[in-house]
Amino acid sequence: MNIVVCVKQVPDTEALIKVKADGSGIDEGGIKWVMNPYDEFGVEEALKLKEKNGGDVTIVSVGPARALETIRTALAMGAEKGIHINDPALEGADAYTTASALAAAIKEIPHDIVFCGMRAIDDDAGQVGSILAELLGIPQVTVVTKLEVADGKATAVKAIEGAQLVIETSLPCVITAAKGLNEPRYASLPGIMKAKKKPVDVKDAAALGISVAAKAKIVKMMPPPERAPGKIVGGEEAAEKAAQLVKLLREEAKVI
Amino acid sequence: MAHGGEHVLKVGNEGREVFWNAPYEGILFFFTAIALVIFAYGIYRRWQMWKAIGLPENRTDNAGERFKALIMNGLFQVKTFREAYPGIFHGLIFFGFLVLIFGAAIDATQFHIGLPFFHGGFYLWFSLIMEIFGLAVLIGIVMAIMRRYIFKPDFLGYKGVPDNRPDDAIVLVGIGAIIVTGFIIEALRLHVNINVDGFTWGDWSFVGYALSKTLAGVSYDTTRILHKITWWVHSFITLGLIAYLPFSRLLHIFTTPANYYMKNLEPTGTLKPIADFENAESFGAGQLEDFTWKQIFDSEACTRCGRCQDGCPAYISGKPLSPKKVIQDIKTYWLERAPSVLAAGKKTKEGEEAAIPEPDKAMVGEVIDLHELWACTNCMYCMEHCPALIEHVPKIVQMRQYKVLMEADFSPELQLTYRNMENNSNPWGIGAHMRGDWAKDLGIKTLAEDPDVEYLFYVGCSGSFDDRGKKVSVAFAKILKEAGVSFGILGEEEGCCGDSAMRGGNEYLYQTLAQMNIETMNGYGVKKVVCTCPHGYNALKKDYRHFGGNFEVFHHTEILADLIAKGKIKLTKPVEGLFTYHDSCFLGRYNDIYNQPRQVLGAVPGMRMVEMKSNRAKSFCCGAGGARMWMEEDIGERINDMRTDQAIDVKADTIAVGCPFCLTMMSDGIKDREKEENMKAFDIAEIVWQSMAVEKETDAGTPPE
Ligand code: SF4
Ligand code: SF4
Repeated sequence: MNIVVCVKQVPDTEALIKVKADGSGIDEGGIKWVMNPYDEFGVEEALKLKEKNGGDVTIVSVGPARALETIRTALAMGAEKGIHINDPALEGADAYTTASALAAAIKEIPHDIVFCGMRAIDDDAGQVGSILAELLGIPQVTVVTKLEVADGKATAVKAIEGAQLVIETSLPCVITAAKGLNEPRYASLPGIMKAKKKPVDVKDAAALGISVAAKAKIVKMMPPPERAPGKIVGGEEAAEKAAQLVKLLREEAKVI
Repeated sequence: MAHGGEHVLKVGNEGREVFWNAPYEGILFFFTAIALVIFAYGIYRRWQMWKAIGLPENRTDNAGERFKALIMNGLFQVKTFREAYPGIFHGLIFFGFLVLIFGAAIDATQFHIGLPFFHGGFYLWFSLIMEIFGLAVLIGIVMAIMRRYIFKPDFLGYKGVPDNRPDDAIVLVGIGAIIVTGFIIEALRLHVNINVDGFTWGDWSFVGYALSKTLAGVSYDTTRILHKITWWVHSFITLGLIAYLPFSRLLHIFTTPANYYMKNLEPTGTLKPIADFENAESFGAGQLEDFTWKQIFDSEACTRCGRCQDGCPAYISGKPLSPKKVIQDIKTYWLERAPSVLAAGKKTKEGEEAAIPEPDKAMVGEVIDLHELWACTNCMYCMEHCPALIEHVPKIVQMRQYKVLMEADFSPELQLTYRNMENNSNPWGIGAHMRGDWAKDLGIKTLAEDPDVEYLFYVGCSGSFDDRGKKVSVAFAKILKEAGVSFGILGEEEGCCGDSAMRGGNEYLYQTLAQMNIETMNGYGVKKVVCTCPHGYNALKKDYRHFGGNFEVFHHTEILADLIAKGKIKLTKPVEGLFTYHDSCFLGRYNDIYNQPRQVLGAVPGMRMVEMKSNRAKSFCCGAGGARMWMEEDIGERINDMRTDQAIDVKADTIAVGCPFCLTMMSDGIKDREKEENMKAFDIAEIVWQSMAVEKETDAGTPPE
């Protein structure tokens, strides 16, 4: 079984995000980059399927040079090879362009299942997996929390408000992974060492023959407004504090 | 020389004849030879087995220091005497036998060569000394028997099940029998002398003499027969024990002193770093073969005395771990495996094809249960108190390394911790950029701003990110400022010390973290470092030197004690209450810092101090060491609660600590025991700051009420 996992390198959830002065993007200085956690669920699921059914796991990522690190992380977890789509023209690419780059790369290799994270935690768009499935012309199941693959079929469980959907689809298909699908493994040290020597193909837009013209673009990025510091209501007695609170709510917060 | 006969007078203060009445010297020598051959074979066989499995390790360098360890612990029994009861009985048996063997040697020399002084007064004194030490051995044996079979302390068994093996009984009874038959022989000999004119020397052999009085009325001939029988019984038991020695617990007579000589000369608790990640094929110890021969030999020096288990916080709190069991399980497994490895090696030598048999079970997971492996807090109690100088902790860490590095099979909580340490250089995964935030409004400079300072205050993760820990950092920093000490911090540039990664088996992560810190510190030319966290303190002081980090490292209690002694800070404001000091393992047992914290507390006016049941070298761990801080504790009782109980027992109202992990653990313990109303835990720095009558705008450390 040949499995492809699309991964994206994103800033660590705890990283301090500073928006560039001109609002064109974020300042990347001092940021710790990690694999998008939802993609990690995809990698883990792919490895599990491989361990059960045999085959290869290929990691595909669109991103600048530093994204190679994330591909290596997935290789350290146990994937066989990587495809690194690195083209300055793709920097800040929209979901459609990213998906078409991924699709072009994936079309060239055998793929029974393609995993994506349900969304990337940086832009929270959640579109790439779906567009990718369309471009590949294969079925998709999104936000999957449980997956079984047997007899050329995938049976996926997807949680919806108050219920669970069990969706069956033929292969090949695109699965977008949600939290709960699995617990991603910790890479072993031999895995980390071996990953350094595993093959990673680097491709650019020209090699893939895709158009880099964006369909959507970020107009401006702004930091959220600074939160005003909290206030501790003073006073000795409870009654006194309550009076203070009422006063503040009425006069300062103007909510009552 | 004529043996036997009627010349009874010769066995008085004239000296005695060794073979009086037992004229079968030839037979005795024959059996002695057999016993020695068996003994020699046993030792040879064992020697072969010791060599069969294990990686090389040099434990014979620096002979002087090693010899000292051998003399102190072997001859003077220093470690063994640390525990009164077993120390005494072992001392009685050990010194008793030492003298008896010496005496026997004199006896034999006298017989074969003849000693001119072996009669008269000298002989009487000799008799008396032999008598006393013979009795000493007997008392020792009785004490040992009583302990093992009557008092039955738990530490001789495991979880309430005694671990008394036939070997134990054979040895105890055997030694006892040698002494008892010795006394009986003497009694019988004296009995025939009693009627001799001028018999005055009985009291010099007071045990035998007393015993001989029970023989009143026994005829001369009967006495002779009895003497003959007892003499042979005595000889056979002795020879039997000699032959049996290599196959029994008595082997420790050789292996334990050998272990003293081969002791670890590195500072307490240092772990040998993995040298080459790129080219090594396996990491940690997954099989016996991954240990060094010395690590396996350790288990041969173990006497199952149980001292390690007796104070092991994991064991006491009901976890399956017992350091004694770990060592014994390794031994049992080695005894299973060594002969087949040895046989294969022999065949190969003889030119035959013989592959070393594959292990039939996983050492980590099957021989050593994973719950045992992960229960260890690295508290160092076992190694501190093991009278055989066995090194439990490195073995445990190496087995963890195997699980983490090779198999990546360990608890999800710890995986998360490691990811956090990888991504944000702290176990909580709080944004690394926030590391220096605690110091923002205190006017403390970073080394980037001013590298020209005496001390680097290495704050550590707790002191930087944990709300409680931050208060300690603030208090300590304010004290330093007040005392005019020149210091700076690394701020954002500081990283996690890596102790939890190292002790949790993630040596790769640890080395990565250590190297980053060392690079930063060396970049600023750091010479002196002060830490408020004993884990960082220990790692920076002892482990960083392996990677080019050579700093003079201090714990803040050392600095505080010094500042107080030099009068640089004045503690004037009384801090009332009954305080107890909890010795952190990484300060106490790891670094011998027992006094400084107590000195500091002693200088605080108004304070009353009380010691908990377990203190100093016997301190009871808080439960957080060895990466346990980050793991669930779901077996048995919580270690921190048990420690808190000790503080409650002595009615302390404040637990003073010198470690942020301990601070968390003790604070949680107080909560768990619902004592928050009348009990608190504070770091020593907070108490000191409280006692310094400095005008305080906003209070740094939460002051003790
Ligand atoms: S280090 Fe402490 S917890 Fe670990 S085995 Fe030894 S005594 Fe037990
Ligand atoms: S390891 Fe040391 S302390 Fe523990 S039982 Fe063996 S000899 Fe005693």
